[in-house]
Amino acid sequence: MPEAAPRDVIEAPGTVREQLPNALYRVELENEGRGQVVAHVGGSASLLRLRPGDPVVVELMPYDMGRGRIVRRRG
Amino acid sequence: MSVQKSWNELQKMARACRIVVDTLDVLEQAAVPGVSTKELDKIARDHIVRAGAKPAFLGYRGYPASLCVAVNEEVVHGIPGPRKLKEGDIVGLDLGCVVDGFFGDAARTVAVGRISDEARRLMQVTRESLFAAIDLCRPGKRVGDLGHAVQSHAEEHGYSVVREFVGHGIGTHLHEEPQVPNYGPPGRRERLVPGMCLAIEPMVNVGGAEVEVLKDGWTAVTRDKSLSAHFELSVAVTALGPWILSEEYPYADQQGEARRA
Repeated sequence: MPEAAPRDVIEAPGTVREQLPNALYRVELENEGRGQVVAHVGGSASLLRLRPGDPVVVELMPYDMGRGRIVRRRG
Repeated sequence: MSVQKSWNELQKMARACRIVVDTLDVLEQAAVPGVSTKELDKIARDHIVRAGAKPAFLGYRGYPASLCVAVNEEVVHGIPGPRKLKEGDIVGLDLGCVVDGFFGDAARTVAVGRISDEARRLMQVTRESLFAAIDLCRPGKRVGDLGHAVQSHAEEHGYSVVREFVGHGIGTHLHEEPQVPNYGPPGRRERLVPGMCLAIEPMVNVGGAEVEVLKDGWTAVTRDKSLSAHFELSVAVTALGPWILSEEYPYADQQGEARRA
């Protein structure tokens, strides 16, 4: 019986577009055609105060490309 | 770091692994058109219990059966049920047992009646990729070498390997360290040492590598619904080379280190 593998994560650059309730943000991904994801702020990045327009790095899971986690500020 | 097993422990591993493979032999004969996967599960459970062992999967993380069945586009972890096998299906049978505290785990994909050439070729390539990895189970090799061997062989034939599930160390637990992916670069990950026991299990798809898990929370299917095959054996690394634990210890006639794990 195979073991479930740890999920591979993909990091992608994005820009905060909108602040949502529950510490969620709508982030537009830089890479063309990737669109927008709803992201929460994870780990040490949770201390960040983010505003629309802030450049960030988002972790995406291949299972649900519509959601992500902001891991740090970019630049 | 995986636990290194002693010679005595390897004997116990071998006992568990033989019961699993003997049971798979019985199941392979039983997998004929018209039989339900639930019936196969019952055959598996009865056979394991008669052999004095316990099914390893039943209750594992809530899994409700003794056997995992994976028909056609199902990859792994299919729950046995009323579905009846039909001529031309290929069905993955994955089974584990525990006896005297040690686990055995093995799987194979079998043909139901006459199957297509494509299905036959997929099964053949998947089995070959398993044996390519087993051949590398020698001290000094690394876990990454195994995955590289599987991936290279499968992709050479135009197939893809599943990433979401991996092989694993095995011993006093069904899943132990290290994880054994079926892909990746050679020369990476843990170094193989004598006494290490690994359940190596390539899952190979005709189409894309992507899989998804159905609503039952277990059954994994290929996203593009292409055929998938799965072969698995539990193997010990010994100083003299790989020992497929369900088979006779292959180095018994050799001198010196022969009995050393």
